[in-house]
Amino acid sequence: MGVGEVVAEFGGVYVQSLLSTWLMTIVCFLGGLALGVLITVMRVSPIKPLRVVGDFYVQVFRNIPTISLLVIFVYALPYLGLLLEYRACLIVCIILVVSSFASENFMSGINAIGVGQIEAARSVGLSFVQIVRLIVIPQALRTTVLPMTNLLIATLLTTAMGSQVPLTPPELTGMVNYVNARSVAGISAFVVSAICYAGTALVIGFLGNKLDKKVRIVR
Amino acid sequence: MSAQTTSMRDALYEAPGPKTKRRTAIGTVVSLVLLGVAIFFIIRQFYITDQLNERYWSFLLEWTTWRFLLEGLWGTVRVAAVSGVISMALGLLLMLGRISNSKVLSAICRVLTDLFRSLPSLLLIYFFFLVIPKYGLRMPPFWMLTIPISLAASGVLAEVFRAGVNAVPKGQVEAAMSIGLTHGKIVWKIVLPQALRIVIPSLVSQLVVVVKDTTVAYVVSFPDLMQNARVLISNYDALVSMYFVVAIIYILINYAINHLSIYLAHRSGNKIISRETENPL
Repeated sequence: MGVGEVVAEFGGVYVQSLLSTWLMTIVCFLGGLALGVLITVMRVSPIKPLRVVGDFYVQVFRNIPTISLLVIFVYALPYLGLLLEYRACLIVCIILVVSSFASENFMSGINAIGVGQIEAARSVGLSFVQIVRLIVIPQALRTTVLPMTNLLIATLLTTAMGSQVPLTPPELTGMVNYVNARSVAGISAFVVSAICYAGTALVIGFLGNKLDKKVRIVR
Repeated sequence: MSAQTTSMRDALYEAPGPKTKRRTAIGTVVSLVLLGVAIFFIIRQFYITDQLNERYWSFLLEWTTWRFLLEGLWGTVRVAAVSGVISMALGLLLMLGRISNSKVLSAICRVLTDLFRSLPSLLLIYFFFLVIPKYGLRMPPFWMLTIPISLAASGVLAEVFRAGVNAVPKGQVEAAMSIGLTHGKIVWKIVLPQALRIVIPSLVSQLVVVVKDTTVAYVVSFPDLMQNARVLISNYDALVSMYFVVAIIYILINYAINHLSIYLAHRSGNKIISRETENPL
């Protein structure tokens, strides 16, 4: 089967799976960002146990393979009395992983600011809230545009783990399996999915680069 | 990354007065209590679902269990090591092609780099597992796993190498040109030796990604750590304990690799270039 025939026969499912991949990517990325902000607040707070827990959280979830986390959620947690739907498992797992990387990005954004600026701000009499709002956050956000763009692409690629659990509609990687189980599509099924991934990543990268050029701080 | 985070954290706050000290102390106590409660409830949940029962954990005391897990780990290490080497060679070639004088070669290498970077390794594994055999090419599971992982990593590594090349001061290249060295000689004698040294910590940290990618070895039924853990689960009927133990092993391995790379970066004064820090396009 050529690419054209695959699109003709499975086009509808492909559109669904592309949308499903996009939706999961967006949900996981935004969820990861939100949780990442929370973890980062814990990590920079003056309360020692919160810092330790935040650091520990990041080390655990940036080092665990997503599939290892996913099997715990799908197969182990039901034994512990927590039964989640497949898609929910997948999304929660990816959010946990993404949030740890998001927090690392925020932390290096904060670290890039430099102690001198904070000392200068304090010496002109800014309060803690003012320092965070006027000096730390605007600069940290600008520096994290490129890393977060890369994280968004990484999130897109991580949703491929969805092929390891039954999903309806399947996401783009699961589609290769889906199409191959129903026809002799061969390489075409792979090509269509690959184009969808690469195209999406290209657009994300392009937009991220544009935004970065606009807001970048030249140090 | 995390090794240098302390200074800025502390710089955010002024030296605390008596009020703030008291507030921080209260916050510390409250958070410790909450943490204790959370841990208590997690352990309680294990207890009331009978997952702390000895029969789920005792097999971990047997040497045969660990020997089998170590055999799996050896599979993981083999795939990760071979993928690491292949992806480095391929990444270096892609980068060299991209900075070459030939416009055609440069464009081809650029497209390949961006393609490998923007495809999930799992999709590439399915390509080698499902698609290639349909064209009559049978490969052993080891290579069905190692080749796609190498390809996925090579795209990222090509960019890491390129960042290393860009970090070599321009003046050196100009100086080399002015004494009449050819493009090839400049790359080979001036740029590469320095660029490679700059990216060593980044190459090490990239191993984490490779190790993570190996965990889907069960797709091609290659006996890695995860796959052997699955076998043990069906033998001992101890799913929860086994999956948690395997997760901890993976976390410890990757943590060690990460710290090695941070240590190398500190010692040499070079930054770690990773997928997160490089240019997405």
